[in-house]
Amino acid sequence: MAAYALIIETCLRKASIRIVHVSWFAIYALIFLFPFEPEMWQWGAFLFGWSGCLLPLLLSEGIFGDDIASGRIRLLATKPIRPMQFYLYRFLGLSLQGAIHISAAAALIFALHGLTGRGSVDRLGLWAVATWLVFNAWTALSTSLSVVVKRAHNSMLLFAATGMVLFMLSFLTSFFPNGVATVLFLRVLRYTCPSVELLSEIGLGRCRLAGGLGNAGYSLMLTAVYCAIGVVLLSKREFKGATD
Amino acid sequence: MSDSEKETVPVIECRDVTKVYGGLKMGGATPVRALGNVSLQVGGGTIIGLIGPNGAGKTTFLSLIAGLIFPTEGLIRVCGHPARSVDARRKLGYVPESPVFLSRYSARAVMRHHAALRGVPRREIGDEADRLLAQVRLSEYAHRAVGGFSQGMKQRLALAVALLGDPELLLLDEPSNGLDPIGVIELRRVLSELRESGATIIISSHRLGELERLTSEYVFLHRGRIVKFGGEAAPQQAGRLRIDLLPGRCSVTQELLDPYGLLEVSESGLVVSVGGIEDAPVVVGRLVNAGAAITGVALETQDIEETFVRLCQERAS
Repeated sequence: MAAYALIIETCLRKASIRIVHVSWFAIYALIFLFPFEPEMWQWGAFLFGWSGCLLPLLLSEGIFGDDIASGRIRLLATKPIRPMQFYLYRFLGLSLQGAIHISAAAALIFALHGLTGRGSVDRLGLWAVATWLVFNAWTALSTSLSVVVKRAHNSMLLFAATGMVLFMLSFLTSFFPNGVATVLFLRVLRYTCPSVELLSEIGLGRCRLAGGLGNAGYSLMLTAVYCAIGVVLLSKREFKGATD
Repeated sequence: MSDSEKETVPVIECRDVTKVYGGLKMGGATPVRALGNVSLQVGGGTIIGLIGPNGAGKTTFLSLIAGLIFPTEGLIRVCGHPARSVDARRKLGYVPESPVFLSRYSARAVMRHHAALRGVPRREIGDEADRLLAQVRLSEYAHRAVGGFSQGMKQRLALAVALLGDPELLLLDEPSNGLDPIGVIELRRVLSELRESGATIIISSHRLGELERLTSEYVFLHRGRIVKFGGEAAPQQAGRLRIDLLPGRCSVTQELLDPYGLLEVSESGLVVSVGGIEDAPVVVGRLVNAGAAITGVALETQDIEETFVRLCQERAS
């Protein structure tokens, strides 16, 4: 029952969460009606970026930080559940939301593509799996960050950090395409940050079955590491109240 | 844990507990010692008033027992289990100073949510939620969103949440914040019933008169240290025995009155510090045996506020 309560809470805790889901679907539908020509678009890749990388930041904003800042955590943390359960049930709640959202979005894209014939839905199923995997990685990273930063700053911080990283990446690849720093930077990104590159290879069909499973496994492992860090942080966290 | 072990294990055991905030974590700010070498044991079925001036460390003390913060030094056990362990949390209910709930949830949904986290069996959750909401007089607001609740209603809901699962230890941080007079009376009734059922309750409150009606046991905290603890600190029992004498009949000395403290003495009377009214015959008997002619005896008890002020003044000086 504790698991169910914490999983459901991830969806009901803010009105904005339902708004985000609905508006994301609306955007998928609207893009098909836009006057520009998305004929060259890989709808799977769009799903990967839009729902896999951006959506988790909005769904996980303040997942722990809101409770810590408001003091609600002091009621929750005195309940007989382990920090690991507390963290994992919330993560699971977000992951399930992601799974349902991505499945529904893929179905919507498939239906609209069938109706309009615009763009390409090649390997949409593989893209959907890769999207869910990358969604989980971003969610774990953002959830763990939320244990240490107050309110919704976890999402803003990740968003800003991602922007910085992309800026640096474009700078390095433009000016020092074969430089040591560029290669090193790319390696660090590839193996420590959510596996955007490795998972997109699955969707693009650039890897065989074994390679795809390896990429998926690595992403899952990275997600587990992010979660483990979050659990440790939560176990060590103090929940101070207002001073006397 | 067997029943015999349960009886011998204190509900709360604190050994040399120190809590220091700040230091390196706060960017080099001066560390603040919120609690220093606090040791105490509390048995079952008691209500203890936790009092002290602002900044005395009351919330810190409750937070340590609730496992919300870690002690810098020392050991805390709740019903024999280390504080913050799942077993310790299973035994306690906690009402924070300003309870916060998800504002979109109704009072009943909040109760169901916390009951699930508390491990109340699924089939009992609905009944338990309704019973406790009725106990804190929130039944008619059960389906209303908590976001529209007043501070007093939130406080009552927090009490209902804390009572889920019949905790052996209840920690209440300023539970009467925002309560109306009927709410305060209800709170007293609920707490008295809980004590009778064997629960231990620790209440931190600034409303000293309200504590007086509930308990005669207090922990006085001052600058993170326990100044007084236990029944001997009970202000209604302790007091000053004022005795009027006919002048010149006997000379009163401290030795004559040991172990009672001779506070004031003059030709026409004296004031003796006693533990309670039961000490009066002993003191009077000793004076009569020494030849004193007593014309009047009066016990001046101190209420909790006077005791609180006196202790604070003593510590300040």
